[in-house]
Amino acid sequence: MFNYYVRLALKSLRRTPVVAALMIGAIALGVGVCITTLTVYRLMSGNPIEHRNDVLRAVTLDNWDPNQPWDDRRPELPPYELTYRDAMALFESDIPSRQVMMRKGPFVVESDPALGVKPFLVEARLTTKDFFSIFDVPFEYGGGWDAAADQGAQRVVVLSKETNDKIFGGQDSVGKNVRLDGKDYNVIGVLAEWTPTPKFYDLNNGSFDGIEEAFVPFNIGQIDQVQPGGNVNCWRTQPLNSFQDFLESDCVWIQYWVELKGRDKVEAYQSFIDSYVQEQKKLGRFERPLNNKLRTPEEWLEINRVVASDNSVLVGLSFMFLAVCLLNMIGLLLAKFLGSAPLVGLRRALGATRQTIFNQHLVEVGVIGIAGGVLGIGLAGLGLLGVRQLYENYDTLTRLDVTMSLTALVIAIASGVLAGLYPTWRVCRVQPAAYLKTQ
Amino acid sequence: MEFRPILSAMLRNKTGVFLVGLQIALTLAVVANAVFIIMQRVEKIGRPPGIDSANLIFAQSYGFGPNYDHRDTVRRDVDMLRAIPGVVAVTALNGIPMSGGGRQSGYTIEPPTPQPNPTTSNIYFVDEHGVDALGVKLIEGRAFTEAEIQYNENPTNSDFAPSVIITQAVAQQMFGDGPALGKPIYDNLGQSAIVIGVIENMLGAWVGFDQPSNVMLQPRLSNGPTIRYAIRTEPGRRDQLVPEVEKKLAESNLNRAVTWVRPHTYWVERSYRADSRMVAFLSVIVSLMVLVTALGIVGLASFHVSVRTKQIGTRRAVGARRIDIIRYFMIENWLLTTGGVALGLVLAFAFGHWLSSTYSLPRLEPLYPVAGVVLLWILGQIAVFVPARRAAAIPPAIATRTV
Amino acid sequence: MLHMQNISKVFRTELIETHALRDFNLHVKEGEFVAVTGPSGSGKTTFLNIAGLLETFNSGTYQLDGQDVSRLSDDDRSRIRNQKIGFIFQSFNLIPDLDLFDNVDVPLRYRGFNAAERKKRITESLELVGLASRMKHIPAQLSGGQQQRVAIARALAGTPRFLLADEPTGNLDSLMARQVVDLLEDINRRGTTIVMVTHDPELARRAHRNVHVMDGQVTDLQPFAAKPLIRPEAVAAGV
Ligand SMILES: Nc1ncnc2c1ncn2[C@@H]1O[C@H](COP(=O)(O)OP(=O)(O)O)[C@@H](O)[C@H]1O
Ligand SMILES: [Mg+2]
Repeated sequence: MFNYYVRLALKSLRRTPVVAALMIGAIALGVGVCITTLTVYRLMSGNPIEHRNDVLRAVTLDNWDPNQPWDDRRPELPPYELTYRDAMALFESDIPSRQVMMRKGPFVVESDPALGVKPFLVEARLTTKDFFSIFDVPFEYGGGWDAAADQGAQRVVVLSKETNDKIFGGQDSVGKNVRLDGKDYNVIGVLAEWTPTPKFYDLNNGSFDGIEEAFVPFNIGQIDQVQPGGNVNCWRTQPLNSFQDFLESDCVWIQYWVELKGRDKVEAYQSFIDSYVQEQKKLGRFERPLNNKLRTPEEWLEINRVVASDNSVLVGLSFMFLAVCLLNMIGLLLAKFLGSAPLVGLRRALGATRQTIFNQHLVEVGVIGIAGGVLGIGLAGLGLLGVRQLYENYDTLTRLDVTMSLTALVIAIASGVLAGLYPTWRVCRVQPAAYLKTQ
Repeated sequence: MEFRPILSAMLRNKTGVFLVGLQIALTLAVVANAVFIIMQRVEKIGRPPGIDSANLIFAQSYGFGPNYDHRDTVRRDVDMLRAIPGVVAVTALNGIPMSGGGRQSGYTIEPPTPQPNPTTSNIYFVDEHGVDALGVKLIEGRAFTEAEIQYNENPTNSDFAPSVIITQAVAQQMFGDGPALGKPIYDNLGQSAIVIGVIENMLGAWVGFDQPSNVMLQPRLSNGPTIRYAIRTEPGRRDQLVPEVEKKLAESNLNRAVTWVRPHTYWVERSYRADSRMVAFLSVIVSLMVLVTALGIVGLASFHVSVRTKQIGTRRAVGARRIDIIRYFMIENWLLTTGGVALGLVLAFAFGHWLSSTYSLPRLEPLYPVAGVVLLWILGQIAVFVPARRAAAIPPAIATRTV
Repeated sequence: MLHMQNISKVFRTELIETHALRDFNLHVKEGEFVAVTGPSGSGKTTFLNIAGLLETFNSGTYQLDGQDVSRLSDDDRSRIRNQKIGFIFQSFNLIPDLDLFDNVDVPLRYRGFNAAERKKRITESLELVGLASRMKHIPAQLSGGQQQRVAIARALAGTPRFLLADEPTGNLDSLMARQVVDLLEDINRRGTTIVMVTHDPELARRAHRNVHVMDGQVTDLQPFAAKPLIRPEAVAAGV
């Protein structure tokens, strides 16, 4: 019987090829556009550290201007980063099982002249040792450094895969030396390909830029007075005449993450930072109301508005477009089904039950949905090809994967069938006699 | 021909009418808001940058090692660059306009204790060639002289140049309609500088900034080891000079790395990329939406024509001219569209309100939905014309043929 | 009133040419009630279509009301149909989406009458067919005979000089058929010229004159009546 319905459906569609093409085309376009914008949205809103979402927290303290919140539009938010002195103070705590304070800084890299690589500038991350373990950073060769290296500001470096490719042609360079800003550093590790998108651990400077090109111990920054490579935000009017002034200032520029396993730990750490701030208040700092926040990576991405509102608007508009396509289809389908009402009347007069008529038309709707969905996946593929022109650097991530293809098909069939339900119901109500009587 | 019988015939098929009407309403809501956003972005992208963007090259050098002498390097670089044929003017500076990164601070016209509402402005440290090299238009006062250029070995935030050049936008915000030239302004530490020049316009570091043209030039060589150069070329020679500049800089001093040499348009394009993307996306959605709606009208009207063949033949038989048949379909469509856009106007404003409150976008201007109404009226009439003409071609003799 | 001389009409399809009418001659005088009979496919409808300006012809001359209609533009033909001719179809051809009032209104709209005039005419003609009370009903709510009476009202509302009916009783049972023909007779008595195609000899006999069509030509052979049957009332009415 099902085969018979499918045959009937195909025949019916062939009888009105233009209308059939319009309906299938409408669904396909609607689905294609939705899937395209959804893919982009998903790319923008992905949480690359989802598997550690429970245990990781970004630490923020509100040390901002008592007269003006950090963000006028969202006054409830503390600044995104910490001052150097607060970061150093928090680092004393042993509540987190692991923790990291870090920032960016520029270095010129020179390698053995024999390698023939010209000096070049890199963005390095100056960080404490737990960066690699806390964020599950994959290594190709070697590994990170230890507490002693942090403490002693040892001149060791972990290279990104890209940098290692550039200097050492991708070979195992562990144990070799590179010169950073005129000083020798020992390579102790080389990362494997790692493209967290967005770059969740530091969203202040280009959320969709790649990772840093080299990683060195945090304390080197203070010893060598390495310029801050990312945003620095200050509010207090205080003269900053030396690097030491800067380190002691109320300017925020340090990113801080902790690993807290379990609710108890989170609560303990929250009360630790709160009491730290209370202490500081006695010294005349932290003049704003107590507002210290621990954020999961997911909250962190949300707060930092990584998904530009443009993307949400686009997804919204796409679904409205899909709605228009579906309305279009319902209208055409209704006209088509009711146009064939005399035929249905005849079928019913010849003994077809209401159920048979319903099944027959629902199969037709399903066929339209499937055809629209398959075509829609194709269109989404084309759309993403176009999107790739718009988004440099994202090509690996604007691929249409299995999930999205399935989503496309589900949306298409679901919307096709939903759109078809009403016309189907209408045609089922055709009375056998209604159309045999006149004309 | 009057509306009433057409309307009452339409109302016999309420669902069909409602579906198309809703489709038209949604189309209006989306198109009006999308085109509004598109126009805003296009306007934003099209703003004059104030500087001679098309003929500007920017280069960055980063000094390193114990032998690096910042001041000397900059002096030699600038001399070397100015000597290249085809180069019009060169300045050392601390940042790149419209690049998305820069320096800003607040200034007031009274010394602070502290002053409320300082005027926030982007700051560019330039040398005596700054005005020429950037190609900004000086409308009052003068450019900096060589003697005015400041330099401080130690990085600090407490230097404030004795003289500054500001954009009209800053002048307007700080001094209103009064004169700015010769007046002092104060930084947040209470140090003052005299306004010696006003430039017509210059966009600052952030294209999405609320006050994008709040820019101030200060006569200063910024501290090392990073330094940037703005190199203004003769028209048409920019692309050819980029590699030459890169080569000459790289060869001239081994204690620094030449990080990059790029035309200014690189940053312009990058900074507006999100906006261009939005324009591209929205344009596609709007075009497809208009297309789907138009095809929907064509499809539905064609269907009605084929269902009503007999009826149309009868009308012809009882005296309708071809034009009467065409008119029937066009009026029917017009009524349908009018119903749709009436609902659509409500939806458009509601949607616009929601967008502006949720995403802090500007409020939808009424011009857009109104233009959308006209567009949909015309679109509907064009779309229905094809099937209507087919209907008019139905021979009246159909009426006597038994089904 | 209606003069057809040597009219011929050929239908060409890819496969065959059909000579639907050949050397067709017919003259209908003002006030006449003519019944056209003939076997199926003989060209009756074709004749009626040409007579009613629904269709053009290939050769011959056709004068309607003293006017040569062979060279008229499509719009002029529409105007004449609208003003001078009323049509009654076998399958009624009412517009299903419109109520009776609006159905009768259709030709009047094209005529350009004002609202008051239209209303008067619609009411009068619906009263004439006895359906004024069902004005707000739609066709699907009526029986076949009633629908045909509405169609007659529609044909009459414009007070045409000339009424053309193609098997007006073809879809009706005999009782209803008789009612419809009674109505036509009545209309004819008021001065409207009527040409009615029918294959029912019983009904044809009630016309003033029968014309028999065979193979696209009018034949002399008149199987139902040797001479036109004149009804006493018609004589009394001075026709
Ligand atoms: N539109 C047409 N195309 C082709 N042939 C036609 C057409 N209309 C009528 N005919 C042919 O012309 C002949 C006369 O038809 P018609 O006038 O309808 O006969 P009837 O006397 O039954 O009304 C028939 O053979 C018919 O098949
Ligand atoms: Mg016939």
